[in-house]
Amino acid sequence: MRLPINLLALTLSILPSTLAVFADEAYNTDYHHELLGLPQPHTTFFHRPRSDEKATLLYTLSDLGVLGAVHPGTGKVVWRHVLEGEGYLRPVEGEGTLVSGTGKSVQAWDGMSGRQLWGNSFAGQVKDVEVMETVAAGEGEKDILALFEEEGKAVLRRLKGGSGDVKWEYHDATEDLPFQVSTNVKDVFVVSLHGARGGYNVKVSILDPVTGKKINEYTLTTKGDVHAPEDVLLVGANSAAPIIAWTDKLMKNLKVNILGKSGNLQTLPLKESDGEIVKVTIHAPDLVQSLPHFLVHSHSAVSNRADVYHINIASGIINKEYELPKLPGKGALSTSSQDANVYFTRTTQDEVIIVSSASHGILGRWPVKVDKTHGSFVYGAAEVVHKGTDSYAVRSAILTSEEDWVMVRNGAEAWTRVEGLSGAVAAEWAEIPESEDLAKTLEAEAHSNPLSAYIHRCQRHINDLQYLPGYLQELPFRIIGSVFSTDIASHKAGVLVRDNFGFNKLAIVATQRGRVYGIDSGGHGAVVWSLKAFDIPTGKKWDVKGIWVDSSNGIATIRGADGEYILVQTVTGKATEKMEPGNWPSVQSAAVVDSPSGTWILPIGVDGNPGEVPAKWAPKENIVVQGKNGEVKGLKFDVQGSLAVPITVWTFQPPIGQKIIGVTSRPAHDPVASIGRVLADRTVLYKYLNPNIVLVTAVSEESATAIFYLLDSVSGDVLYSTTHDGVDTKQHITSAMSENWFVYSLWSDILPTTSGLLASKGYQIVVSELYESDVPNDRGPLGANSNSSSLEPTDVANAEPALPHVFSQTFLIPESISHMSVTKTGQGITVRQLLCTLTSSNSIVGIPRTILDPRRPVGRDPTAAEQEEGLFRYQPVIDFDPKMILTHKREVIGVKDVITAPALLESTSLVFAYGIDVFGTRVAPSAAFDILGKSFNKLSLVATVAALGVGVVVLGPMARKKQINARWQTA
Amino acid sequence: MAAPPPPPQWVIDLNSPPATKPKSTGIPDPPGFTSTVGKKQQGSSKTAVRAPLTATEMDTLKLKKAWEVALAPVKQLPMTAIMMYMSGNSLQIFSIMMVGMAFKNPIMGLMATNQAFEKLESEGIKGKITMVKAVYVAMQLLALALGVWKVNGMGLLPTTRSDWLAWETARDPLEIAIPAF
Repeated sequence: MRLPINLLALTLSILPSTLAVFADEAYNTDYHHELLGLPQPHTTFFHRPRSDEKATLLYTLSDLGVLGAVHPGTGKVVWRHVLEGEGYLRPVEGEGTLVSGTGKSVQAWDGMSGRQLWGNSFAGQVKDVEVMETVAAGEGEKDILALFEEEGKAVLRRLKGGSGDVKWEYHDATEDLPFQVSTNVKDVFVVSLHGARGGYNVKVSILDPVTGKKINEYTLTTKGDVHAPEDVLLVGANSAAPIIAWTDKLMKNLKVNILGKSGNLQTLPLKESDGEIVKVTIHAPDLVQSLPHFLVHSHSAVSNRADVYHINIASGIINKEYELPKLPGKGALSTSSQDANVYFTRTTQDEVIIVSSASHGILGRWPVKVDKTHGSFVYGAAEVVHKGTDSYAVRSAILTSEEDWVMVRNGAEAWTRVEGLSGAVAAEWAEIPESEDLAKTLEAEAHSNPLSAYIHRCQRHINDLQYLPGYLQELPFRIIGSVFSTDIASHKAGVLVRDNFGFNKLAIVATQRGRVYGIDSGGHGAVVWSLKAFDIPTGKKWDVKGIWVDSSNGIATIRGADGEYILVQTVTGKATEKMEPGNWPSVQSAAVVDSPSGTWILPIGVDGNPGEVPAKWAPKENIVVQGKNGEVKGLKFDVQGSLAVPITVWTFQPPIGQKIIGVTSRPAHDPVASIGRVLADRTVLYKYLNPNIVLVTAVSEESATAIFYLLDSVSGDVLYSTTHDGVDTKQHITSAMSENWFVYSLWSDILPTTSGLLASKGYQIVVSELYESDVPNDRGPLGANSNSSSLEPTDVANAEPALPHVFSQTFLIPESISHMSVTKTGQGITVRQLLCTLTSSNSIVGIPRTILDPRRPVGRDPTAAEQEEGLFRYQPVIDFDPKMILTHKREVIGVKDVITAPALLESTSLVFAYGIDVFGTRVAPSAAFDILGKSFNKLSLVATVAALGVGVVVLGPMARKKQINARWQTA
Repeated sequence: MAAPPPPPQWVIDLNSPPATKPKSTGIPDPPGFTSTVGKKQQGSSKTAVRAPLTATEMDTLKLKKAWEVALAPVKQLPMTAIMMYMSGNSLQIFSIMMVGMAFKNPIMGLMATNQAFEKLESEGIKGKITMVKAVYVAMQLLALALGVWKVNGMGLLPTTRSDWLAWETARDPLEIAIPAF
C-alpha cells in the first residue's frame, strides 16, 4: 500500500506547478462574504452620490472602521475602504462627497467611485467631524470642521472643502475633554466636557466661523448627571437649532440646551409607561434647512414610545408637539429629511409607520414581513420618498439584534447582510456528522461475534429497504444531474449533507462581538446557524483562545480569555453548556490534549500555567506554553495522588534584548507521504521528521535583527538558529511550518556593514528544509533506529541531540505577508502550497512548494539530473503571478487567519479565511488528479457508448445473416 | 487370377525418367529447370563412395555438433548487446520488447536444455556432453545477464535506496509535546 503512494508522491512532485484558480472555477468553488462590520447609528445614512440625480447609496462607517457604500436596491457593496478604526462620517449635502474622520486623519471621498479626494493628517486624535454649511449656496465646496484632541486639549480646525488645507485653527487653552463640534451656520460650537471623570460639566465655546476666534463660552452644570461622554445623548449637528441633551440619573427628565443660548437649560419630563425607562435616544435632522424638530425615543424593558418636540428658534422654547404611542417590544426610529420636511420612520416588529415631524398624522403604514430569525430591530437609517400628494415610500436599513443588516422596503425585507459575521477572531473546521451512526454500527458489528453481527447486518439491510423507493425515485435525477450538471459537488441549499468528496464541511466562526456562526463550505459559504454566545461590552472584543471540535459527537467547545466557554452543537448551533466570563480563571491559550479519560481542551492560564488538573484528566503528552515574558516552556504533568501537577521541564529564554514575537509548530494534521527525497541518482535524502519542533521568532529592536530558533519541544534543545540583520521589526514577521520545512517572511535592508554576500532590500521569504543528513542514503546520527527520543537520543549518556541538516534559500517578494498557512491533504501526497495573506492587495496567494525549493540551482541552469528532480533555476524574485492568487478578482479585507482542512479527495484542500471578510475556496496544489474536471464531457461519453450500442444492435443481425449466407453459399 | 494390366505409359515415364543427358549436348536447360536428378545422383554417388562411419567418429561429430549448439546463444550476444545499447534506457515499446526477448530466450533455452541435446546424446560421450551442457547453461546465463544489465540500465532493478524507501518508516517519537500558544 505504501509503494503506490510514494510513487505518486514522486510523480506529483515532478509535475509543474499548476494554476491556483481556473477560470471556470472562479466564483464557483469559492465564496466570499463582502462585509463591512456593524453600521453605527451616527455614521450610517442614505446620500446622493450625484447631487443632480435622485438615486442614493447607503453609506456607513462601521465599528471595524470599514467605510463602504452599499447599493440600497441589491445590498451589494459598491466600494469600501478599511480606515483606522471607528470614527466619524458625514455627508456633504449637495455635493456627493463624504468626509470621514478616523484616527488622526480627515479624508474626503467621492461618493460614487469611492476614490479619495483628499486626506490630511494631524497630530491629535479626531474627535468629531462636521460639514460647515454656508448661508448662500454655490460658494464652492463646503468646508469641514474637524475637532481634535491634542495633548488633552481641544483643537478645532476648519479645513478647505476642496483640498483639506487648514483655513484656521482654534486651540482651547483648558484641558477639557473635546467632545463634539456643531454649527448652525451663524456660529460654530465646540462642546467639551469640563471637569473630571465621574462628574462632568458641559462647556460650550462659541466660535466665529470666518476667523475661528472665540466669541463666547458658557458652562452648563449637569449636577453629576454626565459621568462619561456616552451619557450625553445628542449634540444636534448642522440644524437650524442644534441642541445638546442628557438625562438625569434616574431617567426621569431630559435636560436640553439649545446651543448658543447660555442660560437656557430646559427640563423635559420623560413619561414612564411600562416600568422604568432603560434607554433614551434622540433623533434630530442633520440639515440646516430642516425644521428644528426632534424626537425623543424612550425604551422600557418591554415597550417603547416616542415624543416629538418643536423648538421655537426665536424664543428658544421647546414645546412637546405630539407623541407616538407605546408599542410592545423594541423598535427602531430613524429620521430623514427632505428639504424642510422632517420624517420619522418607526419600525417595530409588526409595522412600519412614517410620520411628519410637524403633525401626528400617519403618512404611511405597512405591515412588517421580515424573517423572524433576524431578531428585533435596534437602529437604522431611513429614506422617505414623497411620491405624490398622499403617497410615500420608505426604505430603512436596520440593524437587528441578531446583527443582521436588513433592508426593509415598505415593510418587506429587500435584502439582508450578515454583518455580524465580520470581525471574526477564531474559526475551526467541523465535519458534518452524518454517517456517524453507520460508523458506530459497523464498529459494533466488528466487535460482536460473527453470527450475531451477521443477523444484525441482515436486519439493518432489511431496515434500509424502506429507503429504496426513495432512492430509486431519485436515481434518474441523480444520473441526469451528473451527466448534465457542471457542478461536480452539486449541493442543495439549506441542507447539510456530506458529499463523496469531502467538500462539504462546516466552519465554526467566532466573532469579536460574541457571536458564533456555522458556515457551510459546500453551500457557497451560506450561514447555516448563528448564535449569540456571550454579551461582549462595547469597546471590548471577545478573545477566543481555542475552538475544539469533537467530531464523534458533533460538539464544538469554544474557550475565551476570561475563562468563559461554550459548547455548541456543530449542526444545529444550539448551545449545550455555557460558562459566563469571569467565573473561571483567565486563559492565555488552549490545547487539545489526550488524557486517560479522553480528549479535551486544556486551558492554559496566565503565565503559561495550566494549573493542577485531576489525575484522570492529566494530559499524557508534554505541553509547550509561553510564559510571562514570552519565554517558551515545556511542561510535563506529574501525577501526585488524585491531582496532576504541571512541572516545567525546560525553559527557553532568548538572550537579553531579544523579544519572542511568535512561535509556530507543525499542524496537528501533517501527514508525510514519503520520509525521504529521492535524488536523480536514486539516492535518498532523508527528511528530518520530528513532530516535536517549534520555530520561535525573536526580534531585537535595538540591533534591528530577527532571530529564528528551531527548538525541540520535548527537550528544549536548540536544533538550529539563524539571524537576519537590518530587519524592520515593526513590519509583519510571519512564519509557517510543515513536514520537514519551515518558512518565514520579513522586511530586510542592506546594511553598510554587510560585506561579501550580496544582500537585498525589501520583503523576503526564507525557506529552509531539514534533512537528517547532508549525505544521501544516510539517516543521520540515529542510524536505523526505529524510534527516536529527544531526551535520550542514543544509548550514550548526555549525547548531543541529532541535529538536522538545513538547506535554506531566500526569495524576494513584492509585498508584505501578514499571515501564512499551509494546505493540508488527507495523505500528504499532494505537494503543499503556502497560503500567504497579502495585506496591501487584500488577497491570498498560494505559492507552490516547488517554487520555494531551497535546492534550486543558483546562478546556472539545472543539470539533467536536477531537472529530473524537478528543480529549476533559482530566480531571486517570486512574482505573485495573478494566476497564483486564490482570491483572483475578489478583495478580501482584514484577513486575520487562514485555516485549511483536507477533503476526502487527496488532491484537494479546503481553505477558509476570516477576519473582517470571510472567504473560502478549495485548492488542488498538484492539479485535481483524482476527479474529473469540468472539461470532461460526460455527455459525449454517454452519447458515444449509446451510439456504439445502437450500432451493435443494428449491425449484429446483419452480420449474422451474412455469415450464415456465406456458409451456405460456399458449401 | 489374371495378371494385372501393364501400367500405362505415363506411369512408366514417371517412374523411370529419361537418362541424364550428357553435359556436352550444348543445349541449355530451359529457364527454371534444375536438374536435381543429376545432383542427387552425384551426391548419392559420393556418399556411396564414403565408407560408413564408425561409432567413435559418430561420437566426435555429435560432440562437435553439441558444442555448436552450446555456443549458439553467445554468438547472438554482441548483436543483442548492440541493439540494447542502441535502443536506449527509456521505457518504450521497442526496448520493453527487447528486454522481454532478452529474458524469454535464455529462460526458454534453459528450460529446454535437455531437449536441445537429446539427439546428440549417446553412451560414448555421456561425460563430455554433460560438460557441454554446463557450458550451454553458462552461455544462457550470460545472455540472461545481458538482459539483467539492460534492465538495470533502465533503472528497473530495485538496487538503489530509493527503491526501498517506501518500506522505510519514519521514526516513532517516544515523547510528544503539544504546542499551546
